[in-house]
Amino acid sequence: MTMLASPRTSPAAPTVDAPRVSDASAAASSVSTVANAQRDVEFAREALPWLDDVYRFAHSLTRDEADADDVVQETYLRAYRSWHTFIPGTDCRRWLFTICRNVFLRSRERQRPTVDLEDGEQDALAAGSVYAAARESGYDDLYARLDIGPALRDAIDELAEPFRTAVVLVDVEDLSYESAAEVMDVPIGTVRSRLFRGRRLLQEKLASLAAEYGLAPAVAGSTR
Amino acid sequence: MSAPQQNQLEALGLSANCADVVRHLWDYLDDQLTPDGAERLHAHMASCETCRGYSDYQSCFLEAVARLRARLDAPESLRAKLAEGLKSEGCSCWEDVTKDRASG
Repeated sequence: MTMLASPRTSPAAPTVDAPRVSDASAAASSVSTVANAQRDVEFAREALPWLDDVYRFAHSLTRDEADADDVVQETYLRAYRSWHTFIPGTDCRRWLFTICRNVFLRSRERQRPTVDLEDGEQDALAAGSVYAAARESGYDDLYARLDIGPALRDAIDELAEPFRTAVVLVDVEDLSYESAAEVMDVPIGTVRSRLFRGRRLLQEKLASLAAEYGLAPAVAGSTR
Repeated sequence: MSAPQQNQLEALGLSANCADVVRHLWDYLDDQLTPDGAERLHAHMASCETCRGYSDYQSCFLEAVARLRARLDAPESLRAKLAEGLKSEGCSCWEDVTKDRASG
């Protein structure tokens, strides 16, 4: 058996006992326990309050409750395991959204969407056309008069990616263009063009629904 | 502006002064315009009933979308499952999953 060498001490040296190996181990264990407890407290404080937000985002991505559950579960477990990579003071919700999107993309085993629309202006003009038709027909206050929430939720679920993600992040979850760009891993201009296309498609869809339910005349020239 | 876009604006019966509002209202509402650009749109809308109506219409739409945020929360079954998952990871705060609600 190899004995640990005792430190040489002179008679005048302080007589503090060297810590034994078992003491050092216990101390290290204690430090680790404290660190883990601190991590858990921070995780509970910073990450858990955003569970509903992450669920909504996951639901918008998967469009399926069971799939959303799985994505959220995996998102939070990954977040917990890699909590040391979260930078205190930064936007934890954005960090969770980024993990959530990555979990979703990997779960679908597909590449990130690569649709890039440079001309958000064209969509803005098209939205103007929808409004012009609505005004002409006297239902331009439809959004104010009716609770369009359920229809809007369905219309968002039907939006194609990547427009759906842009609308959910910016318009539902109130992320800035910059934060959404970080979550989506695209330039800010791409967020804008996808957002504008998504809004335009939603407004066309709602106009069609309004016509379908007899709340408004049919909209001519509606496109998808 | 391209010729088709110009034609689209004319088809809407919009003056050149209204064109900027149609093209950039979403940028304006999203606070993405420069202060000068925002002021220009604001000044025009103050004097143009049609553009004010369009701004109200788009604002109502965006408010309706934003209200969806309050309509869908994580179900209790998911919270219970996640609590179990965190517990098995050794997370001491696993019980908080079923206590916390969004503060955002």
